[in-house]
Amino acid sequence: MMNDAVTSASGGVKVWDIWIRLFHWIIVLFIPAMWWTAENNEMTWHMRLGMILLALLIFRVLWGFFGSSTARFSSFVKGPGAVMRYLTGGANDGEGAVGHNPAGGWSVLALLVLMLAQVGLGLFSGDPYDGATGPLNDRVGVMTAGWMTEWHEIGFNVLVGLIAIHISAVLFYLFVKRRNLVKPMVTGMKADGVTSADLGTVSHLAALLCLLVGAAISAWIWFGAG
Amino acid sequence: MVVADLEYQNCLCAEWAWNIAKLKVRLANRKQGKSENSLMALRNIGLGAAALLTLSACGSGDEAATDDAPEPAVIDQRQDNFEEISDAFRAIRGELEGEEPDMAAIVANAEIINANAMKIEGFFPEGTGMDDGYDSEALATIWEQPEEFASAHQRLVSASEAFLATANEGDVAAIGEGVGDLGGACKNCHDTFRLDDE
Repeated sequence: MMNDAVTSASGGVKVWDIWIRLFHWIIVLFIPAMWWTAENNEMTWHMRLGMILLALLIFRVLWGFFGSSTARFSSFVKGPGAVMRYLTGGANDGEGAVGHNPAGGWSVLALLVLMLAQVGLGLFSGDPYDGATGPLNDRVGVMTAGWMTEWHEIGFNVLVGLIAIHISAVLFYLFVKRRNLVKPMVTGMKADGVTSADLGTVSHLAALLCLLVGAAISAWIWFGAG
Repeated sequence: MVVADLEYQNCLCAEWAWNIAKLKVRLANRKQGKSENSLMALRNIGLGAAALLTLSACGSGDEAATDDAPEPAVIDQRQDNFEEISDAFRAIRGELEGEEPDMAAIVANAEIINANAMKIEGFFPEGTGMDDGYDSEALATIWEQPEEFASAHQRLVSASEAFLATANEGDVAAIGEGVGDLGGACKNCHDTFRLDDE
């Protein structure tokens, strides 16, 4: 994991703001925790963590509109042409560029959408005669809740697949392209970044506001959605 | 850290392949309701995608699965048996939520519940609980309190018989009340003999 080639005294350029990094690593902790609590029937904790996850995901979506430049969907969701050029090596492979590459952007979007779908399905999952139920379970018919529960289970397997692709890509960069993508996600800095544009200063207050909105929506659902 | 990540992935991989296998069996066994046809198509797409991802993610040898002792077949059988009861019970409640409950469907599902309820007793040989290391929620209390377990089982058999009789009579209000009694018999056993999932 240590790659001396990219350690630079100059520090490089800033790629990821603190909120993106915190979000990323909290998700890394949360996914195994969600899986473990479900596997071990710790449904109270599964649901508590799920509601926190919902708040975090809403924050991330809002941060995708109001956050710093590399966090914004408009900066990293590219058309199919750009993705193909990137994958076939026709374009700059992102050596000096900052932010998600065109393929990675879609991977991030897919992960976010899938996690939101998972949390959304979980809200309605379960059966009142058979264990725990999500906070909105009684808002839908028992058959609807039944298929949502099944999709909640299927969805996790798909999510694991996407995560496997995500990690494979990071390892591919590390071992084949000799570029460490993990370190910038920790420090926020990219040593060989050559862009002159900075992250676009967005205040921490804006991040806290996005987080607050996420927490408020999550809490509202948790307490029965009015 | 990389090594740890890979090991973790491997472990998840086995878990995941297992989940997909279970789902396939469940979906294959599943009776299709009226509104389920379009969903089946979606599910197949989902499963296809998941299967492709399995291939891309797991690659070659996956040792995790071979480490475990082979699981007694009875565990899968009894879980499928309970799954069928659960699906049938849900189908009945689904009918009752609608404007015009399909009485034939309610009776058919009540028959499934009754038939499967009677099979339960033979599905719990000693040494097949979660404490024996299997993927099961069966608590040791099943074998520590065999008389209580037998009486809880008997309560379900009786409740499912009574429910089937009510279903055959065709009075929607009475069937609705019967759902509560039947569900109570399920819960009664889960409370003591199945891993608490709260």
